[in-house]
Amino acid sequence: MMTKQLLLFALLPIALGAQILDPVVLTKPATDAWPTYNGDYSGRRFSTLNQIDQSNVMHLTLGWVFRVRAGAVPGAIVGGEGPAPVEGGPPNPDLSTIKATPLMVNGILYFATPDNAWAVDARSGHELWHYFWKTKGGIHIGNRGVGMYGNWLFFETPDDYLVSLDARTGKERWHVEIADVKQEYFSTPAPIVVGNHVLVGTGGDSLDVPGFLESHDPETGAIQWKWWSEPLKKGDPGSETWPDEYSMRHGGGMTWIPGTYDPELHLYYLGTGNPNPVLTGRGREGADLYTCSIVALNVDTGKLAWYFQPSPHDTHDWDAAQTTVLIDGLFEGKPRKMLAQANRNGYFFLLDRTNGKNLLTAPMVDTINWSKGIDANGQPIPNPDKEATISGVLVSPPSDGVTNWPPPSFDPDTGLFYVGVKESFSEYYLTDTDPHPEGYAAAEKYITSYGGSLLAIDYQTGKTRWKHSYIFGGGPIGILTTAGKLLFAGDGLGHLLAFDPSNGSILWHAGLSDDVSNGPETYMLDGHQYLVVGAGDSLYAFLLE
Amino acid sequence: MDMRILLQRTLRAIAGFSICVALAAQPAPPKYDPVSVARGQQAFVASCGFCHGSRAKGGEKGPDLLRSVVVLDDENGKGIGRVILKGRPEKGMPKFAMTEDQIVDIANFLHQSIYSAADRDSYQTLNIVTGDASAGKAYFNGAGNCGSCHSVTGDLKGIGAKYEPVTLQDRLLMPLDFGPSASTKAVVTVTVTTPSGEAVSGPLLWIDDFTVALRNSQGTYVSFARKSDVIPQVEVHNPFKPHSDMILHFSDAEIHNLTAYLVTLK
Ligand code: HEC
Repeated sequence: MMTKQLLLFALLPIALGAQILDPVVLTKPATDAWPTYNGDYSGRRFSTLNQIDQSNVMHLTLGWVFRVRAGAVPGAIVGGEGPAPVEGGPPNPDLSTIKATPLMVNGILYFATPDNAWAVDARSGHELWHYFWKTKGGIHIGNRGVGMYGNWLFFETPDDYLVSLDARTGKERWHVEIADVKQEYFSTPAPIVVGNHVLVGTGGDSLDVPGFLESHDPETGAIQWKWWSEPLKKGDPGSETWPDEYSMRHGGGMTWIPGTYDPELHLYYLGTGNPNPVLTGRGREGADLYTCSIVALNVDTGKLAWYFQPSPHDTHDWDAAQTTVLIDGLFEGKPRKMLAQANRNGYFFLLDRTNGKNLLTAPMVDTINWSKGIDANGQPIPNPDKEATISGVLVSPPSDGVTNWPPPSFDPDTGLFYVGVKESFSEYYLTDTDPHPEGYAAAEKYITSYGGSLLAIDYQTGKTRWKHSYIFGGGPIGILTTAGKLLFAGDGLGHLLAFDPSNGSILWHAGLSDDVSNGPETYMLDGHQYLVVGAGDSLYAFLLE
Repeated sequence: MDMRILLQRTLRAIAGFSICVALAAQPAPPKYDPVSVARGQQAFVASCGFCHGSRAKGGEKGPDLLRSVVVLDDENGKGIGRVILKGRPEKGMPKFAMTEDQIVDIANFLHQSIYSAADRDSYQTLNIVTGDASAGKAYFNGAGNCGSCHSVTGDLKGIGAKYEPVTLQDRLLMPLDFGPSASTKAVVTVTVTTPSGEAVSGPLLWIDDFTVALRNSQGTYVSFARKSDVIPQVEVHNPFKPHSDMILHFSDAEIHNLTAYLVTLK
């Protein structure tokens, strides 16, 4: 208790100052801050810091470890609409697994797990405050962290509230309901703050409900606009890709990955989730826009500027909810504004982000067997024979994909896009033969995997430049690259590794008590470059000796 | 949706070669009192099924109730009861004089139906045996070359009685239940040769870029630091490689035919 008061006291100079987060910081690559989920709006997860480099990375040493104690523990600030949690019982690993990338602003780290948020001293790993939300329910699968506007923090809960906290104290300012947990919505994304817009998505595809993205006022929580990921009525753009209004109003398309933003174009980019019912296309014949799509929205109005659909008429749960990475560079010799996505369906996509035009589509692995080729627009053509049947179809990838939400990275120095992948198969068995199937409608049995790997993809050709494969381990994993010519990633086997991003050789590693569970991040503090990573219930901070 | 087969499960298990057995479906544990659900179902089919369909998924005269916000938001029959007791005569929903208990039964039936639709881990596969057993037999003895490792009178004798068809089909694709921590099941073996030329072989217990571990011929756990890809030399032998290779080439029809054949081996 004593230490806690001292720490709060130490915070006072900041508390008395003006805004904690200067909005300008969000528009340039992070150096002495990590102010938004991906470090900056581009989604590249490339840091210009180079104090830690190839020549000294082997001297990285552990600075501190912070282990979360989730739940209504003594000292926690308690909020929420749900009943008081049952005392005792084993700790729930879902509540303490760190999938968030912590924000670091003025020496304080801010992050969340389902129902919990923390402020931690970035120098020492000491807890400043802990906020606990009493839940009404919802799937507690993960939380990707907090967003920040001035002194205010925002995070989402599994029972679909947007909660705003005062970053200085952890005290709640307000909460607003964004979706109905009884309709099986649950919310995991980190809100992204652009100007005075707090961009909030949601998830949930157990029942057949429509997805949406909302913009909220950071001061009051009031809704500014709402974009539905399906057309609402016949005649609306995209409605021609559904059989009827009933199917589009139950069509899924969740918005659970934090998006990226181009301040010049004023566009917010986002990959949407799978259509519903999930594993059968019956009852929703057509491309099912704008599910499994990359969309560009005007950030002030929520109006759709363009879309590209990586998985037209998806029947395998391949959300396009992977980070949409913004690349400025050459393509076919000309400078271009581009957007790259390593998609769950197994393909790498490169688009012109001014208009959504496809520049390149390339398979990332050899096992994918569900498409009949690429159409003139660069979209894979699904093979209807690989849609679930009663007797089963063998499909690669399984529903969790070749890759998934863990953040990839683009390194402008190497021109390579890095992503964790795995090559695996599932059998998909149709279980609901009703003309109006509901929910998932099919059962999936995981068959086998050929292992995971870390890929370095040349964004201009889609070709793999190098591949580091694991017999065990690997798979979708969060990645960071830096100007110190380093790539940091986990191996799924309890290690954090530093690679040479040009050729994949391993330069350093540390054993952690669990697998890396978020995207690693880096920042300067007191003249030291910190490397911070979450693995299971703990954050680890490394710096040079 | 989200990466449901989560980090722990995937990253550890994919690492291995198969987790299909662990994922075998279990019937949904009833969340609502089964006796009440059964009564509710009976009442529903009798009074409501005509319009809403006997499974409440909607009919010509009434909407799908499993997707109804009134039903999803209902607590213990309160919201549903209001509609039942008052009806919406102008919209074609008649009112019913029902007791509170009858309403709770119907509500429990509807909630259990929604729970079962949403809980995909409990979905039950249907009759998956649709293949041609004689074509499967021909494939087994011919193109599949299955006889080079297996015999229907030897190791596969009675296999059709041992497993449910769906488990049999999944296991014929990949029989291995294996992961880096599943030490007892480690049928993959490894030979580690140190720079001095000493070779140790045994079941592979763990391998990453820095360590390789195995159980030696004395049954003792042995681990080696890996200094590079070649020091020490590490050779992994996967006895299920033929299955791994086949999966890349199998057609679904071949799989179904083989299953149909193996099911006959009772
Ligand atoms: C004669 C046909 C008919 C019968 C019989 C009938 N319903 Fe309905 N029901 C309807 C119609 C039509 C509606 C839609 C009314 C509307 O559009 O507001 C409806 C609506 C409902 C709703 C509200 C759905 C929503 O989301 O707004 C519930 C709940 C409901 N019925 C339950 C029942 C139950 C329980 C029974 C049996 C005890 C029953 N109904 C019997 C025709 C019927």
